[in-house]
Amino acid sequence: MSVNGAPPSPPSGGKLRAWLTDRLGLDQLGAAFRGGHVPGGASLWHTLGSVAAALFVLEAVTGVLLATAYAPSVTDAWASVAYIQDQMAMGWFLRGLHSFGSSALILVAGAHLLQVLVFGAYRRPRELNWMIGLSLFGVVALFALSGYLLPWDQKGYWAKLVEATIAGSAPVVGDAAQKLIQGGAGFGNLTLTRAYAFHAMALPALLTALLIFHIYLFRRHGYTPRWSLSPQDAAARAAPAWPDQALRNAAVGTLVWGVVALAVIARHGAPLESPADPTSSYLARPEWYALPLYQLRMLFEGPLEIVATMIIPGLVTALALALPFLDRGRTNRPSDRRRVLGAAALGLVALTALGVTALAKDARDPAYAKARAEEQLRAATARRLALKGVPADGNVFHNDPLYRAREIWDDRCAGCHSLTGTGGEKAPDLKDYNSRAWIRGFLSNPDGPLYMGPAKIDRGMKPVAVAPEEMDALVEYVYAETGATDVDASRAGRGRDLLSPSDCDTCHDFDGEGENDGPNLKGRGTPRWVAAVIADAGHPLLFGDRNKMPKQRGKLTTEEIGDLARFVIGLRGK
Amino acid sequence: MTAGLGTIAAALAIIPGLGFLAGSLRRDVRNAKSPAGGPAATNPLRVATEREVKPGKPLRVTAVGAREDAWLRLEKVTLGSLWLVRTVEDGPIKAFSTVCPHLGCGIDFDDKAGKFNCPCHASAFDLEGRCLGGPSPRGLDELEARVEGRDVLVRYQRFRIGSSKREPLG
Repeated sequence: MSVNGAPPSPPSGGKLRAWLTDRLGLDQLGAAFRGGHVPGGASLWHTLGSVAAALFVLEAVTGVLLATAYAPSVTDAWASVAYIQDQMAMGWFLRGLHSFGSSALILVAGAHLLQVLVFGAYRRPRELNWMIGLSLFGVVALFALSGYLLPWDQKGYWAKLVEATIAGSAPVVGDAAQKLIQGGAGFGNLTLTRAYAFHAMALPALLTALLIFHIYLFRRHGYTPRWSLSPQDAAARAAPAWPDQALRNAAVGTLVWGVVALAVIARHGAPLESPADPTSSYLARPEWYALPLYQLRMLFEGPLEIVATMIIPGLVTALALALPFLDRGRTNRPSDRRRVLGAAALGLVALTALGVTALAKDARDPAYAKARAEEQLRAATARRLALKGVPADGNVFHNDPLYRAREIWDDRCAGCHSLTGTGGEKAPDLKDYNSRAWIRGFLSNPDGPLYMGPAKIDRGMKPVAVAPEEMDALVEYVYAETGATDVDASRAGRGRDLLSPSDCDTCHDFDGEGENDGPNLKGRGTPRWVAAVIADAGHPLLFGDRNKMPKQRGKLTTEEIGDLARFVIGLRGK
Repeated sequence: MTAGLGTIAAALAIIPGLGFLAGSLRRDVRNAKSPAGGPAATNPLRVATEREVKPGKPLRVTAVGAREDAWLRLEKVTLGSLWLVRTVEDGPIKAFSTVCPHLGCGIDFDDKAGKFNCPCHASAFDLEGRCLGGPSPRGLDELEARVEGRDVLVRYQRFRIGSSKREPLG
């Protein structure tokens, strides 16, 4: 081997190879890549660290790809993620790999940690590498915490809000910590840009540096063989890391990647909830890996909360870091380390029990199921509306024609009509418009404060004074004309027959053609009829020359009038 | 000497860097500030008409106004929601922020039990906003409300969550 200007060793394969070997030290590079020997032989147990590293590479590659389409701002974040998820080629798959891969990374890193614990691989002389490994686990947790805010959907927003508040509850430094996380007094653009810079730049750099050091120290100290093997046995059974161990690493790594990819396909990518809405009552739940901590906090109320949020996690972390120095076992044998392994097993059981309790409680809770169903509907609506392109202020719901209709309502209709059941200024209240109750109220007292009263119509409609049973029939007839689907047809038919005996026909026609004093009642309350009223209520088929409502034809487009009509019809039953 | 030069070079990046990040500790940072420190007309905000508030039936309404968020200014956005509560017919109207003082989840009203509760950690509050149980460190945050003509006007603001003291933010 040539070092420091000594003549190169004889070429072992052509001139190019010799040239490269001379300049790059290919032989050393190759040896460093292949690693040394595995005492006790290659094993599946030893694959976990490599698989975790491979998952990190998966996260890095998919992360960079996602970053090419992601925009970290409160108005654009959700829109860009919805765009990746629903419109970009393979977007859902890449985002799914990134999301499910992170869960797999936490699981595999956790398994790696347990394997090290069981094998006693944290013991002398590997104390520092154990601590670096734990730090790596901490960095992975920070990745997760900062990552799921980025879509700026309900889940990410609320989970992060709770976490920031927990940080803010720390003594002395809490307030500053919370403001540093948030980028100010509240959640906003700077919260998102900070989380993004942290997640996509600072943490990858930190993790890479720690990982290099972790692997360097691992190479220095080598594999820890099974405790049952004496050093002589282990040496005798040693196998070369390349290709024996490498093949196993590749096999398990490919298997885990495959499972992640299958999960992504089966679930059609990672979930994306509706855009963050700070004004909603969202049932905040953390990701699965944080559920145990969430449940732990439920056990401590009020001033004791800090026990669950800081003291217990802090103590466990400190104990774990100090483990190599606390462990007094003579050998790596589990029987020599009963206390350590017992405590670890207890911790694992506690974590599982807390997580399962949290899941079980929500599974039993009908309020939780209802909230989930509402959120799923909202998310589906938001994503459908996002296909039209998200407006500049980031509020995708403004794409809903009914939202636009409501704006027009506030602008043009709300001055005279009300929607509150308290009576309008100059026109009927349209709360629950054309429900049976509304129709009954109208027929009983057309000039009541909720109906035509405020409009002060001269010689308006007279109250319908008939027997209660006949009233029911008339109400059902009017109700049927609106195109309602839950009509009692025979009763409505009876109402039809009562129109003449009840003197309705003095002012009204029912055929859609007659232009009497009152509106023609054919199809009254259908979308077309309501749109016609909005367009021009003074039409002879409608209210004629007694009309006081300003016509909207020419002021609004036909489409807007149609949307407004749908909005008004939608008021029934709300 | 080398270490000294290195330290100076590092300080050149680190000191302004820390200052850049710590800028968020200042009170006047324009992040997620609502409503904007614009004309006084943006706050109080009209949130409802007086007649909509029925005794014993809290009404959930949204506060819509201008909001500044770092580089962004939005004119008409939802700043938050609040509960309007009246205990007797034509009596005074009280307004409570829907932000739970515990960890900031949105407070719901339970019609059957006649009290407010938090969906996240089950804190409960009565119609006066007093905490009846659960982890909340204080009662609901009351907002200044008044009736002007037919309208209910509310001065919307947010408070620090998680502490027993009521401390306005921003």
